[in-house]
Amino acid sequence: MHFAIALLLVLALACAASSLITQNQTYAWYSQRYSERTAGLIMALHLDDAFHSPWFIAITAFLCLNLLLCNLLRLPRLIRRTQAETRPESALKLPGDVSAQGVADPGAVFQRLRMPKPTPCKTGDGRDALFAARHPAGLWGAWVCHLGILLLILGFSLGQMTQQQYTVYGVPGQIKRIGDTECFLTIDDFRVDKREDGSVAQYTTDITVENVASVGTSGGSASISVNHPATLCGMKFYQNATGWAAQVDVYKDGKPIQQEVVCAGDYMSVKDKEGLVVMLNALYPDYVMTPGVGPSTASDQLNNPAYLYSVYYQGQVIGMNALMNGEEITIDAYTVTFSNPQSYTLIQVKVDRFTFLALIGGLVTMLGLALALYVQPARVWAIRQDDGLWALYGQSRKGGALFRERFNKAIDQRSQDHASD
Amino acid sequence: MLQIENTLFTIVMLAYFASMILYFAFIAVKKDAVARVAVGLQIAGFVLHTAALVCRGIGAGRLPLTNQYEFATSFAWGLCLVSLIFVIRFKFPVLGAFAAPVIFLIIGYAAMQSKDIKELMPALRSNWLGFHVSTAIIAYGAFGVSFVLSIIFLLRDRMKASGFLDQHIPDREKLDMISYRSVSLGLLFLTFTIITGAIWAERAWGSYWSWDPKETWSLVTWIIYAIYLHLRLRKGWRGRSAAIFCVVGFICVMFTYLGVNTWLPGVHSYA
Repeated sequence: MHFAIALLLVLALACAASSLITQNQTYAWYSQRYSERTAGLIMALHLDDAFHSPWFIAITAFLCLNLLLCNLLRLPRLIRRTQAETRPESALKLPGDVSAQGVADPGAVFQRLRMPKPTPCKTGDGRDALFAARHPAGLWGAWVCHLGILLLILGFSLGQMTQQQYTVYGVPGQIKRIGDTECFLTIDDFRVDKREDGSVAQYTTDITVENVASVGTSGGSASISVNHPATLCGMKFYQNATGWAAQVDVYKDGKPIQQEVVCAGDYMSVKDKEGLVVMLNALYPDYVMTPGVGPSTASDQLNNPAYLYSVYYQGQVIGMNALMNGEEITIDAYTVTFSNPQSYTLIQVKVDRFTFLALIGGLVTMLGLALALYVQPARVWAIRQDDGLWALYGQSRKGGALFRERFNKAIDQRSQDHASD
Repeated sequence: MLQIENTLFTIVMLAYFASMILYFAFIAVKKDAVARVAVGLQIAGFVLHTAALVCRGIGAGRLPLTNQYEFATSFAWGLCLVSLIFVIRFKFPVLGAFAAPVIFLIIGYAAMQSKDIKELMPALRSNWLGFHVSTAIIAYGAFGVSFVLSIIFLLRDRMKASGFLDQHIPDREKLDMISYRSVSLGLLFLTFTIITGAIWAERAWGSYWSWDPKETWSLVTWIIYAIYLHLRLRKGWRGRSAAIFCVVGFICVMFTYLGVNTWLPGVHSYA
């Protein structure tokens, strides 16, 4: 128990401390933000990716081992305790957490305490007794909760280890291969639904997925939007983001030789000239140039599109500027133009076969907590005394002061009822 | 409809303020009749608060749970609801006296936020929003009540024994038990919040857990209260130590709510 509490405390502190450090940045970023010494410490302790670091995994693994052993060791005792909880012989010799003497009508007290109908039985010395137990399932709360947490961590860990994740982006009409799989995704349509005030209501992409390795056996078409993913070919497709793309035309001596749609941040290799690459760094739909600030966009409306590009030759930058519609770049015999700005869709593709396990773990944890915190086992028994009246006893492992109060109230209520009778 | 909500909100603030003053007066003059009026006024404030939230929901055409103002006013509503349940269930008006300032502070914070209604971004347009945020409100409300109970517990030791105290504040054991009940309610709802949030995140972002600061701090809060329960149930850790732990837990809750939004931006930055 001490070890488990210490682990939980260390885990909480590790999570809290790690959340204060911006994750997944470079050494240069940390040294600029803090100092070189601190940056070195962050990198050495893996605090830049704390939640995937060996020490964090080790803490979690120890916690899992602790939960597993705790549950395994407690199982036989728990079974015995559950059986004993409903057996009168285990209770009748106990003093109970609370008791009352001289009760004439014990059945009414059982009823008032919402206990099941009491079972008549005998004490060891042959006295008449009544016994009732309720909610023994409450004893299993912590055990079920631990099991749920184990399943949750197991599902999450297996998911992290085995999941495949790809990103596909493009404009309608394009066909893209999904990572290294045999599946191809066709972007049939992409719509950005806007409200009257110009804000975005929804992004929707119509997709068709085909598995070329097993034609006709899987795949299909679906419409995906934010919060509404679709499953095709055993993969789940999420509408994840959007951005700007433009059509890039390449001419050689005035004749068109290549045309492609390039997304912002992406590049196009000129096929006719090895080593010549055109990159679309950014697209500003409503371009404004503010001195001292740099290029930016005044709105997301295509009022004045501008294309920030870079041109590379043999890995060296040979040109970089912002180009307006109709303007062109000339590199020797080659001319490059940007046109037809449009939104592209970014789709996240994921295969995680263990999400269901994590979900089951979460639900089992909930069930365990509900059992542990809200299902209170209790047992009440009555033993007939020599004077014909009954002595009543109550026990609740989790009820504490509130159970005792309810028990005493039930007794008092009976006394009042008898007085008024 | 939003005009009505605005008017109701002002009345609610006044009602909560008046009930707080009456609760203080009850402790000062030690008259049960004053406590009854304070509880009545808090109930009236709560009913109007509910009406205000309904009006905002109708006016906005969605659940009013999506920005700082809406969450803060809903948080105050949740705390008021849970504290009223405990005040009535355990006949414990002194709890109201300690909860009222916290409710007033939170609704005061809400009043300082922008009340503008903005259209929701696509990720927030989900049925899971209602489950996720409403369970968080109940969880935060329950933790708020456990915090207030712990403060009462800690102050009770310093108060001089009197008939009034014995009559209106439960004994230490019962106080501790009520606080435990409140934490139980909070932890159950916080678990529900985290699970519904994970299901929603999986649908919206394709990842049910991405160590976003809000997620991480919700987990930290969950662990803190899990430690509290372990220490209580297994080690018999009750009374003063448990009360101090509850106060620490609520500091974590407040950091998860306010601190993360202010200092640790992530995907929950709009919350």
